[in-house]
Amino acid sequence: MKLNRRKFLTLSAASVGAVALGGRAGAFKAPWTVPQKWYEGQVTTIYSYCENCFWKCGITVKVAGGKVRKIDGQKHNPKSRGRLCPRGQAGVAQLYDPDRLKRPLIRVEGSERSEGKYREASWDEALDYIAARMLKIKDKYGPEAIAWFGHGSGDSWFVEYLPAAWGSPNAAKPAVSVCTAPRETASQWTFGRGVGGHEPVDWENTEYIVLIGHHIGEDTHNTQLQEFAAALRRGAKLVVVDPRFSTAASKADRWLPIKPGTDTALLLAWINVLIEEGLYDREYVEKYTVGLAELAEHVKDKTPEWAASITDLPADTIRAVARELAAHAPKAVLPPGRHTVWYGSDTQRMRALYIVNALLGNYGVPGGFYLAKKPYLEKYPHPPFPLEPAAGGCSGSSGGSEEVPEGYKPRADKGKFFAKTTAIQELVEPMLSGKPYPIRGLICYGTNLFHSIPNVPRTKEALRKLDLYVAIDVLPMEHVMWADVILPECTYLERYDDLVAIAHKTPFIELRQPAVKPLWDSKPGWWIMRELAIKLGLEKFVPWKNIEEYLDTRLQAIGSSLEEMKKKGTLVQRGRPYLKDWERWHMNPFKTPSGKIELYSKTFAEHGFDPLPDYTPPMPAPTGFYRLLYGRSPVHSFAKTQNNWVLMELKPENEVWINNAEGKKLGLRQGEYVWLENDAGVREGPVRVRLTERIRNDCVYLVHGFGHKSRGLRLAFGRGASDNTLQTRYVLDKISGGAGLRNNFVKIVPNAAIPRLKRISTLARERRL
Amino acid sequence: MTTFYGIPGGGHFWHWTTQIHFLLVALAGGFTLYTALLGMKNGSEGRKLAPWALLLIAADLFMLWAESPARFRFTQFWLFLGIHPKAAIWWGAWGLALSALLLLVIILQKQAGRYWYALLAVYSTIVVLYPGYALAANAARPLWDHLLLALFPATALLLALALLIAWRGEEAVRWLELTSWVSLLLALLLPAALASGGVDQARALALLLRRGLLFGLGTLLVLLAALTARRTPALAAACAFAGAWLIRGWLVAEGQHSLFTHGF
Amino acid sequence: MARYAMVIDLESCVGCSACAAACVLENEVPPGHNRLWIRQRELGVFPELTVEYRPEQCLHCENPPCVPACPTGASYKNEDGLVLVRYERCIACGACVAACPYDARFMNPAGYVDKCTFCEHRIADGLDPACVETCPTGCRVFGDLDDPTSAVREALAKAGRIDVLRPEMGTEPKLFYLNTPSKRGLNDTEEVQQ
Ligand SMILES: Nc1nc2c(c(=O)[nH]1)N[C@H]1C(S)=C(S)[C@@H](COP(=O)(O)OP(=O)(O)OC[C@H]3O[C@@H](n4cnc5c(=O)[nH]c(N)nc54)[C@H](O)[C@@H]3O)O[C@H]1N2
Ligand SMILES: Nc1nc2c(c(=O)[nH]1)N[C@H]1C(S)=C(S)[C@@H](COP(=O)(O)OP(=O)(O)OC[C@H]3O[C@@H](n4cnc5c(=O)[nH]c(N)nc54)[C@H](O)[C@@H]3O)O[C@H]1N2
Ligand code: SF4
Ligand code: SF4
Ligand code: SF4
Ligand code: SF4
Ligand code: SF4
Ligand SMILES: [Mo]
Repeated sequence: MKLNRRKFLTLSAASVGAVALGGRAGAFKAPWTVPQKWYEGQVTTIYSYCENCFWKCGITVKVAGGKVRKIDGQKHNPKSRGRLCPRGQAGVAQLYDPDRLKRPLIRVEGSERSEGKYREASWDEALDYIAARMLKIKDKYGPEAIAWFGHGSGDSWFVEYLPAAWGSPNAAKPAVSVCTAPRETASQWTFGRGVGGHEPVDWENTEYIVLIGHHIGEDTHNTQLQEFAAALRRGAKLVVVDPRFSTAASKADRWLPIKPGTDTALLLAWINVLIEEGLYDREYVEKYTVGLAELAEHVKDKTPEWAASITDLPADTIRAVARELAAHAPKAVLPPGRHTVWYGSDTQRMRALYIVNALLGNYGVPGGFYLAKKPYLEKYPHPPFPLEPAAGGCSGSSGGSEEVPEGYKPRADKGKFFAKTTAIQELVEPMLSGKPYPIRGLICYGTNLFHSIPNVPRTKEALRKLDLYVAIDVLPMEHVMWADVILPECTYLERYDDLVAIAHKTPFIELRQPAVKPLWDSKPGWWIMRELAIKLGLEKFVPWKNIEEYLDTRLQAIGSSLEEMKKKGTLVQRGRPYLKDWERWHMNPFKTPSGKIELYSKTFAEHGFDPLPDYTPPMPAPTGFYRLLYGRSPVHSFAKTQNNWVLMELKPENEVWINNAEGKKLGLRQGEYVWLENDAGVREGPVRVRLTERIRNDCVYLVHGFGHKSRGLRLAFGRGASDNTLQTRYVLDKISGGAGLRNNFVKIVPNAAIPRLKRISTLARERRL
Repeated sequence: MTTFYGIPGGGHFWHWTTQIHFLLVALAGGFTLYTALLGMKNGSEGRKLAPWALLLIAADLFMLWAESPARFRFTQFWLFLGIHPKAAIWWGAWGLALSALLLLVIILQKQAGRYWYALLAVYSTIVVLYPGYALAANAARPLWDHLLLALFPATALLLALALLIAWRGEEAVRWLELTSWVSLLLALLLPAALASGGVDQARALALLLRRGLLFGLGTLLVLLAALTARRTPALAAACAFAGAWLIRGWLVAEGQHSLFTHGF
Repeated sequence: MARYAMVIDLESCVGCSACAAACVLENEVPPGHNRLWIRQRELGVFPELTVEYRPEQCLHCENPPCVPACPTGASYKNEDGLVLVRYERCIACGACVAACPYDARFMNPAGYVDKCTFCEHRIADGLDPACVETCPTGCRVFGDLDDPTSAVREALAKAGRIDVLRPEMGTEPKLFYLNTPSKRGLNDTEEVQQ
């Protein structure tokens, strides 16, 4: 090892000091010396995985002086490969956020929800309070009258484990119907497989990429960004279809500034060119798909000229891209994107996108999509739960089916849409209407009710009506400060969670383990769940004494152990990525009714939906209004990182993007503060104007996650505008249950006062380690 | 349009405390130089001023110490024992320290020899010169033109002279008038010097024209001082003091601005 | 003895700021300051546009004006070409801050001047700097210019275009930008737009 000069210097300096002061070197510090850096002391490392978004990168946590100081990527982890995005890097600032929830709180008797009046309570009292009210609701209305919302790795305890043991099918994650539902449903009914949490795009081998929306670079899912960048460096061609000149567009060979909501028309025109010009992969299509004839007939008149008039893109460009795609096939790919709940007709758009992929012959083929495999892992052998876990997730359908065991009811959103997914926003309705049956209680684990679910006024009204509302969270978010009982979970750096199993090219299992002890009186989710289960009389379902035993049992069952996992962090298994790998074993990956890729879906036809995707125009904007689009900042996660000082110093507020010429017409000045008002009269802001060439003139754009109203979030409070507040309308996708969020329109109200807030750096000073 | 993730390092690094230093160091340097010159002519006259000069140096050093975030390190003179002739502040530190020492010697002796004053003249000249050097040396700060090598010493003397009027009215007035004219000329030359420079200088000139109100006011006051010096010395002194301070202060404050804007 | 340098391929950089966040935590950079920040420039007129993300930090100049400006010798260039500050010798006079043409230095409230060190403490252990290690796009490369097999030499050899900031200052920076998207050289003063 090379001798570290700095360490050597500090060493010699320390020994000199020790001699001079008779061993009290540590205590004495000359006034002119400089504080030691954390890495100059003893540093221990702990393997875990990140929780700053839902991508779950493997991390190496460095602890010095009893504190977490630095988080790095785990070198041998297939998600991070030694690298982390900014949010992963900044996790330390969440752990030591002084605004965190510190101890259980119970709403002061006689106060209203929303008033935010709380008293401190012991865990015992808080859990007793919850259990008593839950049992009362169960007695009166049945177990299904408790809904469970959850998101994040700890959600397994609160939307899968406990609700299934308790007997409620009404468990949901926002990751489904306000995120991936359309792409999962479409994938399920086209390929017979979901997409899964880790999109199985074969970036390593692709030569031509078309992104529809999907703003990689701002959407900083780590692995995806790494592979995307590597593909471009390797020379892959990139086309970006987006009404806004995204970061990805700045890397693209072609940018197609499409009219918002018209992507299906574009995709249909591509299908038209591929078929009409005979450019599709005949062999592949013949072997693996059904419905080509019907499809050909269907798109006959969907020419590039037809699409041009709809999409505002030149027909020549449309045709050229289709030909280029074909020229690179099968190493050409249209990745599915992730947040796909756009206009309400989204399952059909996703179907069209998958059909283009299938015509290119890329599914299960290098350079297109690989076939992800789940790692082998056993469940903990607890007694069988009365219900199957019902929440589902990014990886597709849930266990919530129409047929339920005796004495239980099907999920409350049943019948509203076709897919088996859960629609979190539809579970709000029964809280208000009592139909199809009443929901009287809500356990909300890590779900940002007022930032993630559209129509906030409705959500608030629903919360007011409940008999019990419990929030389990780490920060005093807006919705948290409405709860009857607030339970402070400790952060991901202070706890164990259940194992995560990632379906991937190389399937793998990751361990979360604590790097430091929980701060204040916060507790891990597994502990909260277990204690609550016992108080609810469900102790037989939690036969494990503690989490170590639970995890060790699961790991022993697959020939590993907790001890081994603590040392390794990640356990990688072998995959079966391509069609040829399946065929060698005479296995068929396509779990559709026909056993093939369904260009034409008979099932859709039987249920009264278009068996072939058709273009539905989006809701038009009223005159004087702009369509509100939104997306990610590379530096933030949703609405949960705006109290993180490291990230807030990088990006302290969002701006409303307005086309330069359009803004000038409105008389707006760069950087001035305005209000945004939607067509239902809801006002939000003030927010800065960003006049830019980077967006079309018929829409405006906001980065999601800003505009916090909770005073307890001292850094986040009052900065920027919330897209969710303005999304009072959504269009339900009748197939997937997705809530189409891009059907809201805003106008600009100028001359808002400049918000009077302290500088981030001033506020951040007290937050330093 | 240009935006940032994170804060670029181009912010102000010298604050109001530094402004006071730039004033005090001018007074201290100028006053000490005057003491030295006077002392060379007439020892007892010089000795009368010496305590005041020492007081000004002490005030300046105190200011430097008080404003320094490295307060404790600052007092360690051995940090300056190396030889760093390219560093203006190294010259300044030695100039101030040795001037103070000499002044002490002069005060403690009944009848200090002329060579003491001659040495004092050398060191105090360094004190008068170094702030301009410290600014002009920065190729990256175009507002701090080479002209500051002359403008700063001139305004330093002007400040000291304005103060001196109180003691030696008659005698100082002529010098005040002359220094005012010189300072004025140099201040008026600055825009011209910038105008003849490159891209960065052009940006500095734009800054001067757009935000240089105080600089202009300072120049006017110095003009007023030059015009009124003979008739109303007290008024002239006040004008000169304020004018010189404004010119220097504005240049120090605004010159820090990073004009590093490549392509924007 | 080495001549350490960094290259950033601007064609790959997406401005995600992972590098900046990593730097803050690795080096305990105080709030209100940065050793590393990202400049985003929007160029062109709809729909012919470019966006350039350019991370900026100390360039470890071969000929650094910040070093001679220092009255105490706290600022120095070491035998590996790193421009560093001996914090214990710094009197926080600010002369070096003024001298740096790139605004790379700042006054650490702890009482000394601070800036990018190329993560000296990490490279001494044979690691990459924190910003390089974490960069998700892999557009940052670090290494020894004197070593013909080093990653930086390889990256420089392959680059279509190489720029340094303000070459007219004569500082000879050792941070190189590759494939500048604006394709117009970094010294152009006119923005395409307006
Ligand atoms: N940094 C960061 N990264 C994240 C997250 C985060 O919070 N922060 N969240 C993660 C999660 S869970 C998700 S779901 C993903 C979401 O990220 P993506 O799946 O990439 O989301 P999209 O909605 O496709 O991308 C938004 C883009 O769609 C464009 N757009 C808007 N309307 C239209 C339209 O009608 N047509 C077309 N073609 N484009 C349109 C917008 O201009 C914007 O550029 O990001 C993930 N990555
Ligand atoms: N308007 C609008 N709505 C959207 C989106 C959008 O872009 N715009 N995006 C949609 C998408 S794609 C998604 S995936 C969803 C995401 O929806 P959410 O997951 O609800 O979004 P977050 O804002 O991340 O909220 C996470 C919540 O968990 C808390 N939390 C963080 N860490 C922990 C922890 O360790 N334990 C516990 N118990 N709580 C924790 C946070 O404080 C916060 O309250 O939002 C969807 N909704
Ligand atoms: S993508 Fe970033 S925030 Fe998400 S898990 Fe990975 S490092 Fe954490
Ligand atoms: S981490 Fe890499 S891609 Fe991200 S801003 Fe920094 S240099 Fe650019
Ligand atoms: S960039 Fe600035 S601080 Fe860094 S070496 Fe060059 S002049 Fe010195
Ligand atoms: S601030 Fe410190 S490093 Fe910079 S010139 Fe002054 S003494 Fe040297
Ligand atoms: S090399 Fe180290 S100190 Fe320099 S910018 Fe990168 S992380 Fe920061
Ligand atoms: Mo999502």
